Amino acid sequence: MTSEGRVALEGKLGAGADPEVWEVFRQEKDGDAMRHAGNVRAPDRELAQHYARELYSRRNESVRLWVVPRTEITDMADPDLLQPPLDRSFKKPGGYVLRDKLDAARKRAGGKAPESATESTDDD
Amino acid sequence: MTTEMTPVRRATRQLIQPDLPEFDSSGLDPALRTAIADLLLTMADDEFVVGFRDSEWTGIAPMLEEDVAFSSLAQDEIGHARLLYELRSALTGEDPDRLAFHRQPSEYRHARLLDQPRQGWAFTIARRWLYDTADSIRLAGLAASSFAPLADVVAKIRREERYHLMHLNAWLERLGTHHGKPRGKVLSALKALNPIASSVFAPIANEEMLVDAGVLSAPMSVLAARWRSEANARLCALNLRPISDAPPAADGRDHAVPDESFVWLWNEFTSVARLEEGVEW
Repeated sequence: MTSEGRVALEGKLGAGADPEVWEVFRQEKDGDAMRHAGNVRAPDRELAQHYARELYSRRNESVRLWVVPRTEITDMADPDLLQPPLDRSFKKPGGYVLRDKLDAARKRAGGKAPESATESTDDD
Repeated sequence: MTTEMTPVRRATRQLIQPDLPEFDSSGLDPALRTAIADLLLTMADDEFVVGFRDSEWTGIAPMLEEDVAFSSLAQDEIGHARLLYELRSALTGEDPDRLAFHRQPSEYRHARLLDQPRQGWAFTIARRWLYDTADSIRLAGLAASSFAPLADVVAKIRREERYHLMHLNAWLERLGTHHGKPRGKVLSALKALNPIASSVFAPIANEEMLVDAGVLSAPMSVLAARWRSEANARLCALNLRPISDAPPAADGRDHAVPDESFVWLWNEFTSVARLEEGVEW
């Protein structure tokens, strides 16, 4: 992708033709979810479609493609937004994680943890 | 006695539709059969040679993505050539591999337009565009062919060629309207190719017979005029040099004295086949 000849020719096409990155999503068969397939570089939407077709559906492997300029994708990876610092395990279908609380209760009662204690948890 | 209709289990490979339809050509008039075979050879050789010309870009096309796309075009064309050689072989009993790889350079019947060496990217796009626009007119002239196996094969080929033409149109527009070097190179390529551009429509043997029998919709000269008017409309829209009006030269597919550049290409594409005569792959 970065051989010198290629870079030289891309340069000659001018700044307006600098290739941008297009993300490609594909649907394998009707009814399937669109899944990210990969990406292509292309100077514009039309060539992006040609290249997406060649790279991701040349051998009947897709029934539909979505070709999206990468710049149109809003990237969200802020842990404060996506990974709250406080325990939210109660929101999971499994409910609270009881393992630690059970251990603490047993310690207070002075009892010995039963054999199965470590695996009787609900943290799945 | 009753015959029970039980579904016949067939091997998977039998369920896969062959690219080439089976047909019975025993009722075909021998002279017409020869004329169809000749037509098929010109088309097959065109696709074969242009496919190998395209494949010269593998590894060195302007971008990785274009490299993949253009190599893929090359494979498509070789695939079309295979179909057409096989169709001819079904009429003549020849071995398609022998047709493709074991003729002398002077025996090939491709259009002179495809003799030209690859040269630069702009030249390749200009030549390829001229060929593809011509090929699409020729294929349209065969779409309703009275020779059903040909109509069938042409329908399959056209589905791929439609996309090839879109690809070529996209590139011709980008290079042709990009002022500076790219446009200059497209202009000089079109100028250099002008005298041989219409060689795709060089007259072929017994054309009238093919037209009378409904195999081909119109004589090559009529198809050539149709192509010129469509291609020139596009070229003029891009402010590029139109193709001149001269009718296709009679010797547009004559390689009695093969072009040096084609002999080089022939040496390349037959090099493996010539390693050992008659070997099975």
